[in-house]
Amino acid sequence: MRELDVFMLLANFPYFVSILLFSMGCLIVLTQPNLIKKVIGLNVMETAIFLFFIAVGNISGGAPPIVNPATGGVLYVNPLPQALILTGIVVSFSVTAFALAMIVSLYRFYGTVHVSELMKMR
Amino acid sequence: MLTDRIPMVIIIFSLVIAFLLPIFARWKRSLCGPIVAVVTGFSFFFSLFLLYDVHRGGSYSIYLGGFEPPWGIELHINLLAALMIALITGFCFLIAIYSLNSLEREIPDQKAGWYYTAYLLLMTGMTGMVVTNDIFNLYVFLEIVGLASCALIIAKGTKEATEASLKYLLLATIGSGFIVFAIGFLYTITGNLNIPFIAIELEGTRDSFPFVIWTTMGFLLVGFSLKAALFPLHIWLPDAHSSAPFPSSALLSGLVVKIYIMAFFKILYGVFGPGILAEMNIAGLITGMSAMAIVAGSIFAFTQKDLKRRLAYSTVSQVGYIFLGLSLGTPWGIKAALMHVVVHAFMKVCLFMAAGNILFQTGKRNVTLFSGLGRIMPVTMASFTVAALSMVGIPIFAGFITKYALAMGSIEAGSRGLVALIVLSGLLNAMYYLPIIWQAYFTGNQKEKVVMDRIPLPLLAPVVLLACGILYLGLFPAPILSLISGAVEPVFFP
Repeated sequence: MRELDVFMLLANFPYFVSILLFSMGCLIVLTQPNLIKKVIGLNVMETAIFLFFIAVGNISGGAPPIVNPATGGVLYVNPLPQALILTGIVVSFSVTAFALAMIVSLYRFYGTVHVSELMKMR
Repeated sequence: MLTDRIPMVIIIFSLVIAFLLPIFARWKRSLCGPIVAVVTGFSFFFSLFLLYDVHRGGSYSIYLGGFEPPWGIELHINLLAALMIALITGFCFLIAIYSLNSLEREIPDQKAGWYYTAYLLLMTGMTGMVVTNDIFNLYVFLEIVGLASCALIIAKGTKEATEASLKYLLLATIGSGFIVFAIGFLYTITGNLNIPFIAIELEGTRDSFPFVIWTTMGFLLVGFSLKAALFPLHIWLPDAHSSAPFPSSALLSGLVVKIYIMAFFKILYGVFGPGILAEMNIAGLITGMSAMAIVAGSIFAFTQKDLKRRLAYSTVSQVGYIFLGLSLGTPWGIKAALMHVVVHAFMKVCLFMAAGNILFQTGKRNVTLFSGLGRIMPVTMASFTVAALSMVGIPIFAGFITKYALAMGSIEAGSRGLVALIVLSGLLNAMYYLPIIWQAYFTGNQKEKVVMDRIPLPLLAPVVLLACGILYLGLFPAPILSLISGAVEPVFFP
């Protein structure tokens, strides 16, 4: 077992945060009895993934990847993960909208958004 | 060559029609069903053409927009992909014919247009997942499939359907979260999204990142097990598949879960290759999980009284077979798994459609009330019997061929215990299918005259066709087996 390297931890800070957020979101979805909170957890989870991708593409000191022919030789950050995450945000948005619509119709049926109360009413 | 563009034509054509249908439904609702049947029928026709072409001319790639990989998205069409496209479009066509008549009995009329939108989107997504060679593109298609299947379940609009659909959506989104995180890890250590290019990069960097490779595999396993309902993570499947309308259940149980499995093993074998897989021994874990799935799914199925729930739990155990065959990694094992993908689609779609016919004519879903059914709906029950006996694994039916191949595969892999497991699972299947057949034919009033089924032809024809297909595959398995071995060789044993 290697000893804990503080500088390694600091250099990889965004990755640790994203893993932490991902686990938190996953836990919220699985354990919270309130359906709205479950959807919030889902969003936390997906935001963690976005953070991870953006952190991967980041180059410290890099400029935004908008190529200007007049100024050559500039260091740009990697634009590909940002493009991927644009797609990811769209997917996450549609899942959230769909889930909320379903919760609304469940609320119309049962009058509650609590899983434990839903189970009792069945 | 014109055939080069067929996969793209199928994907884009059905995507465009999918979004035109709700508009069209405002003008003439009754025509939506026939239009979808025609679209899927054309796709099926073209995919047969594609299968013939790939079988004769070999595999090829399409570079979207003319950008070559690693920059652009690559669609790779090999024999396996062509076979899966033919399977997907063929079953979508059959189920579209079935839903011509069954849909109006289950779904509010004003939702029909949107239902068919989701239906075609599902077909698009599955076709895309099979052909794409870019893992992020695969993720996008995966989400299309996930959302469209949720829409197909909720279309019924009942309490149970809404609840099951929400449960499915939440768990499936967790699953795709894990998958996209794994894709992120792969991109981090290799800098590529194209499967062959990742594999090349990984050869050089695998020793530097053992933990990342471990984590990636774990995340992929959790994500795809959730999506494909491998045993401990199957909890959403029985609710979702039993509360959906009948055509949706048939489609979800017969095709969708298996497309996820194919995608999983496409990534595992394409990206990591047999070398890393053997080193990490992930296959042993999957074998264990699938062995549990086979036994537990059958036992759960036995305890269910509702026919649809019984069929849904049966899917849990059949998913186990496919995972088992693929995780064995021997030629016979993988052939058995692919054969089971095809045969199980035939059997499960046939069973769900027959269950639908029984409900539509008699209003019965509880399996203890089926006495004398063989006399009032002989054609449906005969087809049901063929499919159920095939599930049990009686010789001359198609199910026997896959069980036999799977047993061959386990002997090849050197684990004789699995042969006993396969025999045991056949007995368990018999335990929950045979009582239904027994009741239908040998109980009730034996003097009653045998009459014809009182259900329209679009509901009856697909069921009979599938039963004939099961008999044909069981009696003459050689052509499909040789096609499958041709499809397996280049992908799994290069």
